[in-house]
Amino acid sequence: MPPRRVAITGIGIISCLGLNLEENWNALREGRSGIAPLQGVDFHKLTLRFQNGAQVRNFDATKHFEPGKEDYIDRFAQFSVVAARDALRDSGLSLTPELRERSAIVCGSAVGGQSAIEVGFEDLYVTDRGRVHPLTIPKTMSNAGASHISMDLKLSGPTYTVSTACSSANHAMGQAFRLVRDGDADLAVTGGSEAMFTIGMLKAWEAMRVISPDTCRPFSKDRRGMILGEGGAMMILEPLDAARARGARIYGEICGFGMSSDANHLTQPIVEGPARAMRDALRMAGLAPEQIGYINAHGTGTPGNDPVETRAIRAVFGTHADKLAISSTKSMHGHALGAAGAIEAVATILALRDGILPPTANFTVADPECDLDYIPNKARTQQVEAALSNSFAFGGLNAVLAFRSYHG
Amino acid sequence: MADEVAAKVIATLASVKRIPADKITLDTNLQELGIDSLDVFSLLFELENAFKISIPDDDVRSIRTVNDIVEGVKKLMAAAPPESSAGSTSPAA
Repeated sequence: MPPRRVAITGIGIISCLGLNLEENWNALREGRSGIAPLQGVDFHKLTLRFQNGAQVRNFDATKHFEPGKEDYIDRFAQFSVVAARDALRDSGLSLTPELRERSAIVCGSAVGGQSAIEVGFEDLYVTDRGRVHPLTIPKTMSNAGASHISMDLKLSGPTYTVSTACSSANHAMGQAFRLVRDGDADLAVTGGSEAMFTIGMLKAWEAMRVISPDTCRPFSKDRRGMILGEGGAMMILEPLDAARARGARIYGEICGFGMSSDANHLTQPIVEGPARAMRDALRMAGLAPEQIGYINAHGTGTPGNDPVETRAIRAVFGTHADKLAISSTKSMHGHALGAAGAIEAVATILALRDGILPPTANFTVADPECDLDYIPNKARTQQVEAALSNSFAFGGLNAVLAFRSYHG
Repeated sequence: MADEVAAKVIATLASVKRIPADKITLDTNLQELGIDSLDVFSLLFELENAFKISIPDDDVRSIRTVNDIVEGVKKLMAAAPPESSAGSTSPAA
């Protein structure tokens, strides 16, 4: 069977910018950041060199799960399930028994149910209770998100979780894209989720010295690091022909996926690895570099990432790099680790659909080492044909997705 | 105090890099020792333990030599004197 074109027909998203697609897209195109002082952290008891985060506000799990059941599901998996339900509803699909068996679920998460395990170990080491909650293991496991989606939506095809730190969601969506493209699944629910605002994780990130003490200013000369985020985003993928046949609303196409490893350093990025991933995504998509109009950058806002990513883009695009519009939406939704690629995919797809390119918020001063067009602070109205979305992980693992606009 | 701080910084550095302390002087450039970013994270962590200080991220970027670290540590200790500097223990020592 020749490779099938793959359409995105449903989206569900939860982030610090809002609890649904409309709230998120409104914030993104208005350049409105959701970064705010951390809630739920007792700064009288805990010293921390940063005090801001991109936390999901007003998410009430009891509204989404049967009474008591929400306690059996870690927050990261709650985001997965709610985003997947929203995406499926958004797609308008009616599921037959056959289609349920032909439906894949591929999720990304960097650390899984971190809060569950932290509470469990606090019981053990701090409060001396001598035992941990019996559901600590199934709440903590990284595949809990994918498994709960499967049980909740009664989808029973290939289901798994990919964990590659900050690239998790892009690796997941790339795998799901290939399952549908190659005929191994006729529907895929895919994306990523993360909920890592625990004391242990905050202190661990502090020790890595990559978190900004104020806000996230990707590509600005005065950038001081990333801002941690949380959330979940899921999308529905199906063969373009099937989507057309049922008269589905099509957001756009996912058309290429490139992966590489730096094989170099655990935390220091290099140009070659990301450049190869971008080239491979273009090649799989059958796109010339000149067809790309927008890149949703990895753009963490760390001193290390942004100049290297800039050089990698120049290496791939040559003179066309100066015509590209690039933004890091992490300036608005923070760095949601294993969910980051999924949230950014949503931003990229809506940018293609609406011809509105979301900006890099919080941009202040240009950096000679970051010398491309980063759409500073204000969204741009510009119809582009195709776009890339970059994710580069600690561990040197790179994953790039290519998307194409679809206008009937 | 200056000598004590310098000796302790050098001992910590030697422990993190698993090299003899007599190979390190105040003028030693960290790059010469093959210090990479992961070593820096570990070193700062051990220094914070050893001197009971908190080293701001922004201070880290200007570090080039061992003396830069010693001066930085002294500045931070002067700003917030530790409760018992003489008795502070270094897990890396």
